[in-house]
Amino acid sequence: MEFFFEIILNLVGLLVGLVIGTISYIGFKNTASPTLFRLSIAFFAIGIGFGILATGFILDDFIFKTGDINRGISTLGVASQTVGYWFIAFSHTIRTFFPKSRYFRSIGAIPLFLVSFNYIENILRAVSFILLVYGAIETLISYIQGRKKTTLFVAVGLGLLAFGEFIGWYSFVFPETVLYVTSIIIKIGGLISVGIPVSKIPLRKISFDENL
Amino acid sequence: MAEHRTQMKIVGEILDTATQEIDEYEGTTITHIIRKANISHGRLSRILNNLVSQGLLEQVTSKRSYRYKTSPSGREFLVAYKTFREFSDDFGLTI
Repeated sequence: MEFFFEIILNLVGLLVGLVIGTISYIGFKNTASPTLFRLSIAFFAIGIGFGILATGFILDDFIFKTGDINRGISTLGVASQTVGYWFIAFSHTIRTFFPKSRYFRSIGAIPLFLVSFNYIENILRAVSFILLVYGAIETLISYIQGRKKTTLFVAVGLGLLAFGEFIGWYSFVFPETVLYVTSIIIKIGGLISVGIPVSKIPLRKISFDENL
Repeated sequence: MAEHRTQMKIVGEILDTATQEIDEYEGTTITHIIRKANISHGRLSRILNNLVSQGLLEQVTSKRSYRYKTSPSGREFLVAYKTFREFSDDFGLTI
């Protein structure tokens, strides 16, 4: 039953991540904006991360039946999410620290994580937490400057994702507790909050005023 | 401190100016775009040539001077730009 719950929650994460990623990619295709390209990579990676975790739970529930997700798959899922969070933080770093540097705008340095899967997973969760806190703070600063409500939703969403990572990290210290499920619920809430701006994007074909 | 504008933002402002400032001669002058988009003549010339070659702006000759107006695909780009600029702003990012 617990696995079923985790599968559903991770699938929701997959869906939300892919929707935001797709919208960002459509934006990139229409405007060739590097910011939207980075956002699409970020949310595709986050969505795929949730998808990998869902696959891990499904495989164990229906095939392996060990009662625990394979650590390799779990680490892969968390790593994918970390890459996504890294790209969000990277976009903020460019805006804040390198506003005029073409070099830093163009590079897409890939973080290298090279030790047991459990150990790596803990490191990844810690890195994700730091990246998310950074992203949340930067977005909050943007909200203070622009006072856009949707920016606040994104800041709160990133904050919830960070809190979810923090709780998820603790689930390793206290396994077999509700901490993991709680972390997933908080993360899904964060993803939904982050996805609120998507609801404002017109998905119908854009029409033009002939008198324009 | 002055806000740094990305190339994308400058292009958006140029297209916006060329769309809004259509007078009886059809199109707007370089001087007007310079004033509205707050950009140097040298840099604007390069961007205008680029936009014309990509079909986002149309160059028309009027009274022995060049004027510029946004093409249909330019307007399409402008609508997409404005939509996704809002989207980027929501994430606290600049398009």
